Amino acid sequence: MSERQPEMHERRILGTELLWAFGVGVLIAATLSVIVFTALTMGINPPSNVERVDPKARHLSGEFAEHNLGTSVAADGSVTTRVIATQFMFVPRCIAVPQGRPVTLRFAAPDVIHGILITGTNVNTMVVPGFVAQVHTQFTRSGDLLMPCHEYCGLGHSEMWATVQVLPEGAFRPDRNGRVSCAQR
Amino acid sequence: MPRDPVIHSSQPSAADSPFDVADEVDDAALAAVMRRVPLGAGVLAGAAVALLVLGYLLIYALVFIPRGTVG
Repeated sequence: MSERQPEMHERRILGTELLWAFGVGVLIAATLSVIVFTALTMGINPPSNVERVDPKARHLSGEFAEHNLGTSVAADGSVTTRVIATQFMFVPRCIAVPQGRPVTLRFAAPDVIHGILITGTNVNTMVVPGFVAQVHTQFTRSGDLLMPCHEYCGLGHSEMWATVQVLPEGAFRPDRNGRVSCAQR
Repeated sequence: MPRDPVIHSSQPSAADSPFDVADEVDDAALAAVMRRVPLGAGVLAGAAVALLVLGYLLIYALVFIPRGTVG
């Protein structure tokens, strides 16, 4: 091997590495562009809500008191569902939501970190004690969806799940207090 | 106790066996191979990354987007 060859070889390796780095940079830029584009045009974002709640007193009064859990329709027509995630169940165990309308899901935990996802949708968040986890979404299809806890929370974790009943517009009928419960079947 | 790893002069060397000795390498042949190796590595890594990105885009377009808005 002549003396100039190692130098040329080094230069060729450097060129390959720079080309590869450029390609990776393009891929990262493309991925970020897709995320930003869908966030701006379709409203798809990671849930980000920093809102504190006292986990020791949240059951005594206020938003997450027992009588206020489940789905309620406000006077302006907005739909909000409030759920407690606790070892090892969701309260209530079945939540009714309308199909094709914006829904705000709000979760609180009194004990340990839980997590929820709703199968077949993009709803997926952690539920951390001391904070309210909030997700805005719109359910496109009616039917029963499974909502399991997806963060290991103790020995009964695998038994911790709830049902999300997506009701078509005609079947989603609030009572005179604006509350909606799961349909009995 | 493990045995003392001293090699005695009477012990045969690995170089005694023709199967354990590397072939002599011609410098020109090595240089020729080394010119081609980065291209093969680039093609392999590029194909792997391309498949990964294609999978990401397919899941994004066919699964994530149809599942609807969230935020």
